Amino acid sequence: MSGPLTNRLITFGEVSRFYGEVLGINRVNLTIPPGITSLVGPNGSGKTTLMNLMTGLIRPTRGDIRVLGIPPDRPEELGPIVGYCAQFDNFPKGLTGYQFLHSFLRIRGMSEVECAERTRSALDTVNMTDAAQRPVGAYSKGMRQRIKLAQAIAHDPQVLVLDEPLNGLDPMARAETIALFQQWGAQGRHVIVSSHILHEVDRISDQVILLSHGYVVAEGEIQGVRSEVKDQPMQILIRCDHPNALAARLFQQDHVVEAKIHPDGKGILLRTTDADRFYLLLNRVVLETGLDVESVAPADDDVNSVYQYLIGGEGGTV
Amino acid sequence: MNPAWMRQLTGVIALEWKKTFLSRRGWWVYLLALGPVVLTFLHSLIRARNQGGHSLFQDTQIFAGMFELYFLRLGIFFGCLGIFSNLFRGEMLEKTLHYYFLTPMRRELLVVGKYLSGLIVALVLFVASTGLSFWLIGRHQGAAWSEFLQHGAGLSQMIWYMVVAALACVGYGAVFLVAGLFIRNPLIPAAVVMVWENLNPFLPSLLKKFSVIFYLKSLCPVQINVPPPLNVLVTDTDPASAWIAVPGLLVVAMLVLAYAAISARRVEISYGE
Amino acid sequence: MAVYKKTYRPYEGRLTASWSRFLVIRRYAFEDLRRSRFLTVFYLASFLYPLIAALIIWVQHNASALQLLNLNGASRLVPINAGFFMTVLGWQSMLALFLSAFVGPGQVSPDLTNNALSLYLARPFSRAEYVLGKLSVLLILLSLMTWVPGLLLFGLQGYLEGWSWMTDHARIAAGLFFGAWIWILVLALLALSLSAWVKWRPAAGALLFGVFFVGSGFGAAINTVQETQWGSLLNISNLMGTVWVQLFEGNDPTSNGALFFRVSAGGHLPVWCCWAALLILCGICLSMLSRKIRGAEVVR
Repeated sequence: MSGPLTNRLITFGEVSRFYGEVLGINRVNLTIPPGITSLVGPNGSGKTTLMNLMTGLIRPTRGDIRVLGIPPDRPEELGPIVGYCAQFDNFPKGLTGYQFLHSFLRIRGMSEVECAERTRSALDTVNMTDAAQRPVGAYSKGMRQRIKLAQAIAHDPQVLVLDEPLNGLDPMARAETIALFQQWGAQGRHVIVSSHILHEVDRISDQVILLSHGYVVAEGEIQGVRSEVKDQPMQILIRCDHPNALAARLFQQDHVVEAKIHPDGKGILLRTTDADRFYLLLNRVVLETGLDVESVAPADDDVNSVYQYLIGGEGGTV
Repeated sequence: MNPAWMRQLTGVIALEWKKTFLSRRGWWVYLLALGPVVLTFLHSLIRARNQGGHSLFQDTQIFAGMFELYFLRLGIFFGCLGIFSNLFRGEMLEKTLHYYFLTPMRRELLVVGKYLSGLIVALVLFVASTGLSFWLIGRHQGAAWSEFLQHGAGLSQMIWYMVVAALACVGYGAVFLVAGLFIRNPLIPAAVVMVWENLNPFLPSLLKKFSVIFYLKSLCPVQINVPPPLNVLVTDTDPASAWIAVPGLLVVAMLVLAYAAISARRVEISYGE
Repeated sequence: MAVYKKTYRPYEGRLTASWSRFLVIRRYAFEDLRRSRFLTVFYLASFLYPLIAALIIWVQHNASALQLLNLNGASRLVPINAGFFMTVLGWQSMLALFLSAFVGPGQVSPDLTNNALSLYLARPFSRAEYVLGKLSVLLILLSLMTWVPGLLLFGLQGYLEGWSWMTDHARIAAGLFFGAWIWILVLALLALSLSAWVKWRPAAGALLFGVFFVGSGFGAAINTVQETQWGSLLNISNLMGTVWVQLFEGNDPTSNGALFFRVSAGGHLPVWCCWAALLILCGICLSMLSRKIRGAEVVR
């Protein structure tokens, strides 16, 4: 790929990164389009390595990375378009929130007026205006997280890389921050988020990258990823008025692995190896028996289920 | 209107000098710089009261000894070690260097900005301390000292001492900035440099020239000799002329700094994990 | 049922006896140090001088070796007396200072930086035991390079010279032992207290050098500028040299200190003053440790 299309993508071509003999990531090939992309994986799976690579903080041992067409080893070109909210909860000593943002905007080469304007705007965006004149060292965990976010967005970057950005935020701040991500994603920016909070990732992501032991195990839209996981039967929840009758028909099918009556008696949770055949069958049953179907919905095409199938274990649910 | 690189440079200096000047952890650098000032101030007070003691010649000799043995070998050496090795290594330790690396600032410019901010602090502290100490050491001589400063060799001596102190900051600063940038424990190279610099009088002539202290000592307006019994181990070497020592030191410092600036492009953020 | 009742099982194995619990720290610290190639090489190299000294003693008592080397007058050239042993101790003590600067700061500062003190002190492990454990690392390492080889050399000389030499020069043995211990204690306490106050290891090491070298330099400047001798109070090496002279040679010294801890020419500080200064220094170090070695720190 070349030209204007690649200039709107983040691409990893056969990228590997080793820390001495320890594997960070290995032979990663990725194409990240604009929108919200979540990096999901257990601790040590390579999420932070991937983020550090695309922001130029570390260099790949092998392979090629382009962020909107720019190699990350050119900070002069990459800096204006990338904002990174890193996992490190550390700040230069002795600065207030305002000074922290203002100083690093100044180092970006902006004029005094522009620095002041952007600082105020970023503080306002993360609701930190009232605490702006207090030393960062005196901030709570949630406030520190928000001031880091403000620092990442203050220069209005095209690509936002956010490592565990929801950590330490209270539910209200979390909802506000997620709304911000969605707003930025809708504006056509790249918002790359790593998180353990899978149900939130599920809610906001346009696409997901699943990592395990330094390898990308899946990438793409979550439904697409789920449908590719052939070895795990699909779970479908059918809400209807006669679940027992439906269950009796379903048990005759060889693709049905399991069918459980819902605890409230008004539905069935089905596990099938062939969802398409099930949908055809359901149509027939409805026509033949006059079954009143209220809803049919996949029950495991969320990130949590995909995470369990591909990586194993539970994702965080905090 | 200032170009962007100039704003970036001033931005780094503004951020850094505050951190170095106003840091609570840096109190001992002030102690190193202010110690001789307090000492010479007390000297001038006590001598003025007692009316006697050292002659003007003795005072200049004492200052020469103090300048070489305290300022050059200890005060400025350790002060620069603290200030300059902390510029990058301190950020790595505090896990804050990535904020700089994420800006669109050229790494070369960042190295220069940090070096200049360290240099400003070192120069203000140690050059001022040198000048003040020199002025105070003979103040008790009254009119004779004023005459020496205004019409004698005093002013020229004071200026040379200040120039030598500044050059020491420039030279040691560049060395320790590089040590802090690339070596996790800058104490080891610092100990090696310290032993090398202190062995200088006893080294053969050729080896003497591979040190900062040799050129600095050559520029000192008053030379002092190593006292007995160690003087028998000293090898005599002609001092370097100012025309060689000053540009030589500046060029070496610039080369060291250029190496740091170029290599900084390859520095990664690992924070020792 | 509370969750902890379901899952928590207290440790039921055998506990290390409380009197020797502090040695657990030493075990792990030595493991860490062994991994540093630089420290291992430095430590091994530090035994070079005692080996040379042993060779000198042996050669001086071996007529055929002296004849072979054509050094019949060597016994007069290198007399084996208090000065000889003080020089050995002086050289080894200088290396001990370097070793303390490399090893000492790594003892406490990482625990403080990583907030690990609360983990130590949450166990049946007191602050005193923690300090003792960390101190024992330095005490053992520094002992092995100062008074242990010193006394071995003394034993070798006594063996070759005869029992009467040993009894006549018992003061040297006492000087070696007690002189080294004072130095070791001062070094170990300084290194630990500085590492408790300065969280960055190299900075704590540099500060240890600074206390010795800048202190001595500034002390010398005070002496020269103010024409006094009290500046030597800032010179720890000078204080130690004076104390050693008394320990090795009593009240009628023939030397002015060891090679590396030479008491500066001119005015000498009274010996009691040097003892008092060293004691005060140790007291300050202990109080610094007591202020910093706490389970929780108020961060401002």
